[in-house]
Amino acid sequence: MRLIVHNMLTCNIKGVVNKFPLRIEAEKVIKKDVDFNPDFLRHMLAKIEWKALVDGARSMGYTELPDHAPALESDEPFLKKFHHALLELNLEEGSLVCQETGRKFPVEKGVPNMLLHEDEV
Amino acid sequence: MRDVKVKANSKSTEEEEENEMSSSLSVKSTPEIEKKYVHRVYDAIAPHFSSTRFAKWPKVAAFLESLPSGSVVLDAGCGNGKYLGLNPSCFFIGCDISNPLIKICSDKGQEVLVADAVNLPYREEFGDAAISIAVLHHLSTENRRKSAIEELVRVVKPGGFVLITVWAAEQEDKSLLTKWTPLSPKYVEEWVGPGSPMNSPRVRNNPFFGLESIPETDVSAKEQKAETSPSFGLESIPETEESTREPKAESVPETQDSLGEQNDKSSVEVLLEALKMNQQEYFVPWHLPYHRAEVSGASASALASGLAKKDDRKGTVVYNRYYHVFSEGELERLASGVGNAMIVDRFYDKSNWCIVLQKEALNQD
Repeated sequence: MRLIVHNMLTCNIKGVVNKFPLRIEAEKVIKKDVDFNPDFLRHMLAKIEWKALVDGARSMGYTELPDHAPALESDEPFLKKFHHALLELNLEEGSLVCQETGRKFPVEKGVPNMLLHEDEV
Repeated sequence: MRDVKVKANSKSTEEEEENEMSSSLSVKSTPEIEKKYVHRVYDAIAPHFSSTRFAKWPKVAAFLESLPSGSVVLDAGCGNGKYLGLNPSCFFIGCDISNPLIKICSDKGQEVLVADAVNLPYREEFGDAAISIAVLHHLSTENRRKSAIEELVRVVKPGGFVLITVWAAEQEDKSLLTKWTPLSPKYVEEWVGPGSPMNSPRVRNNPFFGLESIPETDVSAKEQKAETSPSFGLESIPETEESTREPKAESVPETQDSLGEQNDKSSVEVLLEALKMNQQEYFVPWHLPYHRAEVSGASASALASGLAKKDDRKGTVVYNRYYHVFSEGELERLASGVGNAMIVDRFYDKSNWCIVLQKEALNQD
């Protein structure tokens, strides 16, 4: 699972208000190179919840992201860091934790399982 | 066919649900029929199913290729990931309820997760577009089908597009219907409820259901071919076995299908009965060859529990998949009930009803 997906994921347990973001408990992180595409990154900047990305990256061991996205989006050094955090860090094993309930959604072999139990729906 | 015992959770409103004897189930709960005849089946047949799912449906490909470069595309019910990455300029995120199918996707390096299309664990408006290809017909109540559409609209940005395709009740290949098991009427009533959209004379008078003789293809030849040769058939054409569609072979029509021991009627009689009931609820068989079943491992318990049966003549374990096929206009009616989306395209293609929705754009000042 990469942070581009994590930035979208929510806890859908019935009644939960604080469903996003999920806290990452990383057990195994792998880095995989991805081609740098500044246009795509700029497109993503509008969607990304920045703090969730920064916290998620930190949980995966990457601390280079600034606390705020700079005003000059076209700044290439920034985009390179953004690119690395968003697309090149892979959570292979770990959990995504609901901040309100503590419920852990497992991530195994890079795949999160977000299915709820019967009593959570 | 054995009667299917189903917890009655198909009623439309929450009040009705609370009045039921069984524990009240929300629309997001998975009904038993889907657990047994959708989830467990796909889990058991996943690799075999995936091996038959490679042809890209041109209409879906066209939709995906029309999207702006860099679009985030959400595929809810992505199956074996056939469409993920189809447009290389877009970023695809797929989800499916079947872990084995998702594993096939992730082995290909696709970005996927295990999730429920009726309850997407996504925050709103993240996607630029969403697709739901041959998914909604596996949902057994109208409310669940509507919820799934609402979810697709919710997760795309304002102005974003959603493509939905479902199997049509009006099949181009009439002979397929003779291989399907219509589900018995009392369960149809429970699931569908009064005021269903199927009470239209259109179905009864539909030329697709004419009474001319129905040629059938030779089943075992089709199966063999599917295993060894690439097929030009498309997944959009519903198959009764693992094979994809081929030109019809001339052969003596069979009056009994593989589930024939349960159904002594001729195929035409079955069809007529289905017509009478405006039948839209079916079990559609999937033939899993024995050698594939051994690999899967799930089949031993499926056979033991009666979920699947052996067909020694074909050398397959036969699973039933639950389908609610859609009648003409039904998908539109369902989608038009979603407040903040407009239907921008609708078409029938290869025995599927298809629709493109656009989510309301934000008001511009």
